[in-house]
Amino acid sequence: MISVEGLTKRYGDFTAVAGSDFEVARGEVFGVVGPNGAGKTTTLKILSGLIEPSEGTATVAGYDVEDAAMRSVLGFLPEESPLYEDMTPLSYLRFFADLYDVPRETAHERIDAALSRLDLEHRTRRLGDMSKGMKRKVAISRSLVNDPEVLIYDEPASGLDPLTTNGVLKFVAELADDGKTVLFSAHNLYHVEDVCDRVIVMLEGEIVARGTVGEIRATHGTIEYHVYTTVPVAEVHTTAGSNVIEETETVAEPSGDGARSDGERQQTHATRDERGDEGTSADASAGESSDRYETVVPDMAAVEALRERATAAGGEVVDIRTVEPSFEEIFLDIATPSTGASS
Amino acid sequence: MRSALRSLLQSPKRLSGTLRIARWELTRSAGGFDRRAIAFTIVALGLAGGAVAAGIASGPGDVALDRNVYRVGVDADSPYHEVVAGSATLAARPPSVDALETGEVDVVVGDGEIVADDSEKGRAALTAFRGATRAYNDRLMRAEEDGVAAFPVAVTLSYEDRTLDRDLSAGGGGSEIGGASGADTDADNGDQVSSSDDTSEDGTDERSAGGTGGLPAVGAGGVSGTDSGSPADIAPPFPFESLVLAFAFLVPMNFVVQLYGSSMLGERTNRRGELLLVAPVRPIEIVAGKTLPYFLGTAIVTALIALAVGGGVVSVAAVVPIGLCFLAATFLASMLARSFTELTFVTVAASVFLTSYVFVPAVFADIAPIALISPLTLVVRDLASESVSLGEYAFSTGPFYLSGLVLFVLGTGIYREEDLFTQRAVPLKFLDALCARLTRRRSVALLSALSIPFVFVAELLSIAVLFALPMEYSVPVLLLVIAGVEELGKSIHIYAGFTGGRFDSGTRTALVLGVLSGIGFFVGEKATLLAQAVGLPELALGRAAFVPSGVGGIELVALALAPLALHCVTALISALGASRSKRGYLLAYLVAIGVHAGYNFTVVNAVV
Repeated sequence: MISVEGLTKRYGDFTAVAGSDFEVARGEVFGVVGPNGAGKTTTLKILSGLIEPSEGTATVAGYDVEDAAMRSVLGFLPEESPLYEDMTPLSYLRFFADLYDVPRETAHERIDAALSRLDLEHRTRRLGDMSKGMKRKVAISRSLVNDPEVLIYDEPASGLDPLTTNGVLKFVAELADDGKTVLFSAHNLYHVEDVCDRVIVMLEGEIVARGTVGEIRATHGTIEYHVYTTVPVAEVHTTAGSNVIEETETVAEPSGDGARSDGERQQTHATRDERGDEGTSADASAGESSDRYETVVPDMAAVEALRERATAAGGEVVDIRTVEPSFEEIFLDIATPSTGASS
Repeated sequence: MRSALRSLLQSPKRLSGTLRIARWELTRSAGGFDRRAIAFTIVALGLAGGAVAAGIASGPGDVALDRNVYRVGVDADSPYHEVVAGSATLAARPPSVDALETGEVDVVVGDGEIVADDSEKGRAALTAFRGATRAYNDRLMRAEEDGVAAFPVAVTLSYEDRTLDRDLSAGGGGSEIGGASGADTDADNGDQVSSSDDTSEDGTDERSAGGTGGLPAVGAGGVSGTDSGSPADIAPPFPFESLVLAFAFLVPMNFVVQLYGSSMLGERTNRRGELLLVAPVRPIEIVAGKTLPYFLGTAIVTALIALAVGGGVVSVAAVVPIGLCFLAATFLASMLARSFTELTFVTVAASVFLTSYVFVPAVFADIAPIALISPLTLVVRDLASESVSLGEYAFSTGPFYLSGLVLFVLGTGIYREEDLFTQRAVPLKFLDALCARLTRRRSVALLSALSIPFVFVAELLSIAVLFALPMEYSVPVLLLVIAGVEELGKSIHIYAGFTGGRFDSGTRTALVLGVLSGIGFFVGEKATLLAQAVGLPELALGRAAFVPSGVGGIELVALALAPLALHCVTALISALGASRSKRGYLLAYLVAIGVHAGYNFTVVNAVV
């Protein structure tokens, strides 16, 4: 449904997008993520026909993006969608439906359906008197008045409260279920992780990672093993190579403080577990009063070596937890390569 | 540009998109007004208009701030009572010396003597009374059936065009050159503007008779036409009332452009217009749709004013291009400005310039052909029931139509996401607007040709400003100004192309662009042939302005290609500088002006 080949945009000496290639299938929700200035919005604007590419080709629903006819099958939602504040939602949406040559009766049905699905009341109130969330819903409704095949949403939940954000993201997912192809960017990577079938990660105009969130995690993410022992094993070092974790950290924790400290750590892990991470030890307990020593190692070989050392020292391994990095951590890892591996 | 315009005009679907946007703009703009503010504005304008109309309708003599300011004690039976009653300044009171002492009257008319209070006011009242008596006597004399007996000396006034006449080295004052000898020049050409041929049999000048046609002339009590009085009262014909009425056409435009500019800039504020850009309409349709209601509004208001003041189709046809130019200048300003403050500054500057450009020349509607550079002159003539030829209409309005069109073309070029929401200084945005129209090298020639309306306007304005100065000063300055204006018109877009990265900065490219610009400008310059259609070159400065550019009489045939060579060489010089740097361009531009001015002086001295 969307095809991009060698897409490049230059502004003088500055290259905003450098030879992007990707394809988006019908009914797919495709995410574009990256830090500020990565080229996300430029890519989206090229695909919506707002900006001419310097090089490369891009087609949307079979139309070249520079073909004005493409805009008839496209619904675009910019990051900021300031409305004509002296208009009402109905007059605003009717105008755009008229502009897209939608018959009056059909337009009325679509507008009513979109506003209803987004739970927008006060349809005859002045837009200037509406909250940001309500305005955003009107803007999203506007992107649907022409019943487009492809939707390009730039930060659809930008600046919205969590409740409205959830509603908007759910709506985006429903649009994909209806057969719409959705391309959207977001700064909040949890949104991308939740909604997108596939994503590309952009950095300084280039695509540096692509695939499903799982694929990207497998490629770029690093699983950590948190091993808890009853004796300190400071001499234990990783055996998987210094390129994964440079040093292991052994933390000695007195029983009282240790319990609290350990509890905090477990609280952190629990939060990650809630997101679906694996590997929490079955007998781990946050309120345990005995001393526990935590060592972080990169792989199972190091875990085994650690267990042998602990046993040799008269102790034992009481808990092992695996922690998968979130997509956000992977993104940060990719976006800031100079900092090395995540800790 | 041409393809876009063609596609807009040829495609009903695109036209319907324009109309939809126009309808939306109309309803949205109307909905954005506070009803009480509208009502207040209408009432205020109505009152102001009513006051002005009442003043004009009642005649300038009846509108007096000093009405009844002096009290004259005069008996109702005295012949001076009618004098006092006929003067707006004087008020009649019963004659009494006591009243003079108490200050109740300023002057007392007694039996055979007139006594004034010994004060400043008393002396002023006496002077006013004498003037009123003189005017009363004049009125009586004019009422005499035997005019020759009343005024045994008749003087015919004719106003001659100033000419260069002999040559600049004559050293005479401007007034001398333009005086008696001017008539000789006209006579030699067999094209007398005003002499006995223009004079009616009764010895009065038809051009000045009755001021502007059916409307009375007002000229400090002047003696134009059949008026009478002392020689000190003679003043050039001045179409006061027609001018005031013509000015009424300009007033609504200042309101319309403010609304229009706000609407256009509003699209740029907070990227609001982005959504229109992703709709299936082209930028030219958006601009046309948003402009149409304001243009039609201007035309309708113009027609209504014409109806109210007695103007005809000519008045409306003359004012519409002014409105178009106002809107076009405002549109481009709204594309360049970064804020409403900046927009206000630019639009006010444009309004003042355009108002001055159309109003000041119209003041000379009855005496100088240069007045035709303003379409308002056509309105003045129309209000005076004088005819306007098609050539005069083309000459007056052509630059406005063309300038308006070019301004819209430039503004539409940057009506796109990459320019619309970019905050850059106005001059840089202007360069962007020029650069946006440079799609290929030959676009340079096209832009050079399109600069002609502005060059033409600037040169005509220079003539209008300088023609009152003595020739020995005005002509050299004019030739220098012309060189500067033309070189700018030929080179600024080349500089924009280089700074915008549209062209590589090689010497060969600069040479090609310079030659293309020179050719384009030369071809476009032929439009100034229009100047001859209405006889502007009969004016000495007009000849100086347009003859050196290759448009002239038979004696210049041998030099037909010289202007082409000049334009190519000077444009080439500027292009070479522009390809280097900003400083390089400025230096090269100055050199080009020097070469061009040198050429102008040489040709003027040799030919004119």
